[in-house]
Amino acid sequence: MKVLQMKKTRTAAMLLLAGALAVTAGCSGSGNNGNGNAPAANSAANAGTDAGGEAKADPITFSFFGADASPNWNNMQDEVGKAITEKTGVTIKAEYAVSGGGTDKIALMAASGQYPDMVFAKGDINKLVDAGAVLDLTDLIEEHAPNLKKVYGKYMQRLKYSKEDPAIYVLPTNDSIDQTYFDAGGGFELQQRVLKELGYPQIKTLEDYENALKTYYAKHPTTDGQPTIPLTLDADNWRIMITVTNPAFLATGLPDDGEYYINPETYEASFHIKRPEEREYIRWLNKMFNEGLLDKEAFVQKSDQYKAKIASGRVLGLIDQEWGYADAENAIKTKEDGAYTYAHLPVTMSSEFKDASFAPTGFMAGYGIAITESCKDPVRAIKFLDWLASDEGQVLRNWGIEGKHYEVQDGKRVIPADIQKQKTEDNANFTKSTGIGLYYAMGPHYGDGVKDPSGNYYTTNFPEQIIEGYTPAEKETLQAYGASTWIDLFPKPSEFKERPYGAAWNIPAPTDPDYNVIFKKAEDIIWKKVPEAILAKPEDFDKVFDDMLAQLDKVNLKKAEEIYTQAVKDRVEQWSAK
Amino acid sequence: MARATAGGFNATRGEKTFDVINIIIMLILLVITLYPFLNVLAISLNNSQDTVRGGITILPREFTFENYRVIFAYEGLLQGLQVSVLRTVVGTVLGLASASMLAFTLSRVDFQARRFVSVFLALTMYFSGGLIPVYLLMRDLHLIGTFWVYVLPGMVGAFNVFIIRSFIDGLPYALQESAKLDGANDFTIYWRIILPLCKPALATIALFLAVGQWNSWFDTYLYNGSNETWTTLQYELMKVLQSTQQGGANMRGSNEDLSKLMNQVSPESIKMAITIVVTVPILVVYPFLQRYFVGGMTLGAVKA
Amino acid sequence: MEAYTDKTPGKQAAAGAAEQSGLSRFWRKMKSQKVLYFMAIPFVLWVFVFSYLPLWGWTMAFQDFKPGRTFMEQDWVGFKHFVDLFTDERFYLVMRNTLAMSFMGLIVGFTVPILFAVLLSELRGKYFKRTVQTVSYLPHFVSWVVVAGIVTKMLSTEGGAVNDLLLGLNLIDQPIQFLAKGEWFWSIVTASDLWKELGWNAIIYLAAISGIDPELYEASRVDGANRLKQMWHITLPGIRTTISVLLIMSIGHLISIGFEKQFLLGNNLVMDYSEVLDLYALNYGLNLGRFSFGTAIGIFNSVVSILLLFAANGVLKKVTKESIM
Repeated sequence: MKVLQMKKTRTAAMLLLAGALAVTAGCSGSGNNGNGNAPAANSAANAGTDAGGEAKADPITFSFFGADASPNWNNMQDEVGKAITEKTGVTIKAEYAVSGGGTDKIALMAASGQYPDMVFAKGDINKLVDAGAVLDLTDLIEEHAPNLKKVYGKYMQRLKYSKEDPAIYVLPTNDSIDQTYFDAGGGFELQQRVLKELGYPQIKTLEDYENALKTYYAKHPTTDGQPTIPLTLDADNWRIMITVTNPAFLATGLPDDGEYYINPETYEASFHIKRPEEREYIRWLNKMFNEGLLDKEAFVQKSDQYKAKIASGRVLGLIDQEWGYADAENAIKTKEDGAYTYAHLPVTMSSEFKDASFAPTGFMAGYGIAITESCKDPVRAIKFLDWLASDEGQVLRNWGIEGKHYEVQDGKRVIPADIQKQKTEDNANFTKSTGIGLYYAMGPHYGDGVKDPSGNYYTTNFPEQIIEGYTPAEKETLQAYGASTWIDLFPKPSEFKERPYGAAWNIPAPTDPDYNVIFKKAEDIIWKKVPEAILAKPEDFDKVFDDMLAQLDKVNLKKAEEIYTQAVKDRVEQWSAK
Repeated sequence: MARATAGGFNATRGEKTFDVINIIIMLILLVITLYPFLNVLAISLNNSQDTVRGGITILPREFTFENYRVIFAYEGLLQGLQVSVLRTVVGTVLGLASASMLAFTLSRVDFQARRFVSVFLALTMYFSGGLIPVYLLMRDLHLIGTFWVYVLPGMVGAFNVFIIRSFIDGLPYALQESAKLDGANDFTIYWRIILPLCKPALATIALFLAVGQWNSWFDTYLYNGSNETWTTLQYELMKVLQSTQQGGANMRGSNEDLSKLMNQVSPESIKMAITIVVTVPILVVYPFLQRYFVGGMTLGAVKA
Repeated sequence: MEAYTDKTPGKQAAAGAAEQSGLSRFWRKMKSQKVLYFMAIPFVLWVFVFSYLPLWGWTMAFQDFKPGRTFMEQDWVGFKHFVDLFTDERFYLVMRNTLAMSFMGLIVGFTVPILFAVLLSELRGKYFKRTVQTVSYLPHFVSWVVVAGIVTKMLSTEGGAVNDLLLGLNLIDQPIQFLAKGEWFWSIVTASDLWKELGWNAIIYLAAISGIDPELYEASRVDGANRLKQMWHITLPGIRTTISVLLIMSIGHLISIGFEKQFLLGNNLVMDYSEVLDLYALNYGLNLGRFSFGTAIGIFNSVVSILLLFAANGVLKKVTKESIM
């Protein structure tokens, strides 16, 4: 039972531990479907359905299981939900995971043979594929789904399950298609007050960054009477990846390939932490620690202590992603016009490296919706999903209903101020009653910055909105550096070559159990030894680091790397096939 | 149960010293065990944005009911509450009945099957077939999607049986003997003599059973997740908690302005408020059970 | 009230009766005990169905189990997963940690609640007593995340209460990073656990104490025994059965101590001291989709537990005449 209590305690959505402690299942899939729940206003306004007349056929209910939580789900009684039912005749009876990413429930589904009609299984889809539980959608898409074909377009190859099994089991709906990023939330962070006082110096290398911290810290050893902390990190469990090991590759010019460095020519995969460049990065952290610039508690504190320090305004620098500390920053946002908020800077170890945070990946297929073999009417199901992917469906899912949630002024979609206010101030209730956002992962969608035939964006996010949200201090900093959003400071996607395998973190882990065990062991070693190396005396640093490399060898990391290399090569072959 | 009282008891000096020391120890314990709960209470009543700054101890810094408002605004709580109360009551009654009956039979040294049943039962505390087989069993017994899945599988708890039995063992056997001579059968002895004398043990086990039933949510998720009729309060509260975590989960993929999402309550604060919400009913019911095992005893009645 | 006095003869008589044997006697006796049988058999069947039937799942430990396949389609691999387990160095490390923490927990977490219950029952004021008791179990309802958060803050080198106190008393001149030191970890976990569960674990003993015949206290008082003597000669012997039963059951649970508190109080620096068997099973079993390996650990766990259970039961039966089986 302790295991179960554990689940309650979990806060982050992507906790690594979150696993199949318990197996489960439910989803009394079959059964109560069929005829119930006739849409209330079936007769009203049913003009202009992209998917054609058939879609409006008899009412039908599909059961659905989603591995991500969707607590505001309202049984399609929300406004968008009603509109969807009206257009398609489909009602979704959904259940969402409330813990562990649904891993347990999906294992039980596979074991018991009781599936819902549709399932969003995330990384556990392989269990369902192994069990023969999900349908190959290739032909269904070909025959019934013009919109899906259009939206996925040139990425159709990426939908295929694997090299050996080129069936399409999943319609990827997690990633957006052709997303343009408007803002950067990563890099190295420095408080605006530091940059301002130093006269907005050039901060490109670790040396620049360190000097800025050092200079400012010397002048301001305290903040509001408490000691100033030049730099802190959050190494609480998996967060160590975000604030310690990932920055090691980012600062040395690599794009995000998970734990790996993928040789761009040979596709050979090896753990990135083994690179000599990254040793130097870790050595820099060691130096920072020994000079008293890195928080002594960095590797002991819990995330909430980390955030409390940030919220007190006395931490000058961070190396994190914004989602990791946003609530803390928010607590101090209004103080002195935002002087204690953080600028995002693409710092690298030296000028020969270029921050590759925004190296393009193309559409990252991955997680999405599958139709199971117990689905009572797969054709209706695919037509339903196809309708959601239509222009009309996407606009409905993102914007809501015209005249209610947005208006069209001079051919431009605009969200009225009062609606925007509701959305901002009581997002949970807004989502629940309007349904905007609830159907995001139910169908594929274009990303920010993509325009529909009317010339409007599919999504509701614009650069203007982001700039509006900045504090005066942020705007001042940006202006000083001649940028309008943080992303302007970073190397552009166009400066990088798209990797033919997308990004390695997106390649499903090989199912070979040996691989997974070695990987986990290697991760344990890194999580233990990297902090030890950083906290070591400078003269002991190499000893500890070498010891880590030796231990990695000992668990036969080579073997895992070879298996992964093959996975990358397979992916390249599969994705570049015509 | 009237306990022996006063009569010729004189507090000596040593006794008084003992009392004083004892009271001091208890006061210290009172303070250190009260702290975590007060801390939770304070955070639950504190503005969640302010809570991030840390440093809340036993008093809120920026008082607000917002965290509770978010929880109680959630529909489905009332229905969940009904189911939770029902499973707590039914589960406790069934658990008590079965544990006490079994405990009684096992307390009887003359019972032939005593050793077999004891071993058979004791072993169940130390193994589990794992969740997949248990799930398949529930499926085959048609318990999935029903209320009974909450109370039937765990009805016979070995731990409870042995605790109650240890209590019965402490009772004088002569009581049973004399009843037997009066022609009572074993069930009558159990019902008329043993149960009334076991109140302290029964109250304790009732507490354990009730808290277990009240707090569990994972079985709801496993077996009744897609069946709104039988979702429990704890399960619904898990969903509330998740609605506040959504912000964090969405952030990675979208450009949605963070500060906007962050205006809502934080999961930490909601978690604290949920702790209070689920603990208060236990605290309210508690005195009714507590009187069976605390107070009114030996020296308690002596107001020396 | 006379009936309260002497209980042993009755027990002996009953035990004597049980010693008689012979098949016909057996049946006759069974018939005479039919009510007892009726009261026990339904629950035995119940336990069989809900606890023993799912044990077929243990076969998974001998397969490379995949959820989607039928029983016959699984790959059978013999003892492979047990070999994997016993050849993994990390397994021995986590066993060491598990046993260390569970022994410390057993010693402290077992004796202190008894002491607390006894002292509490000696309190005179009824309302004070009830208040202390109610408050003492409250931390049980506070989740480990919160408790671990409080403990981490108290032990912090920056304004943590413990370091401030030690500095204030001049016992140390540099704040100690308690949570960065592996050698402190087991004690920190044990102490935190005690703090959280003390009051809750004492409830059973309180119930047992309230079952003690009050006349015993009365009589000893007449004999002039003081309070400490009463505690030693009446209260503690009066709850001996409960203590023994709980001790036996806890010893059986020595290696399954959960992982939540260790996980939440631990950090990467003390990993070698904080990882316990249950976490290992999760990390290297189910989280990697290795159902079979997880089951093998489960079986190992059960076998050790049951051996411990029988050992504890046997020893206590000899020493204190109390046992559960």
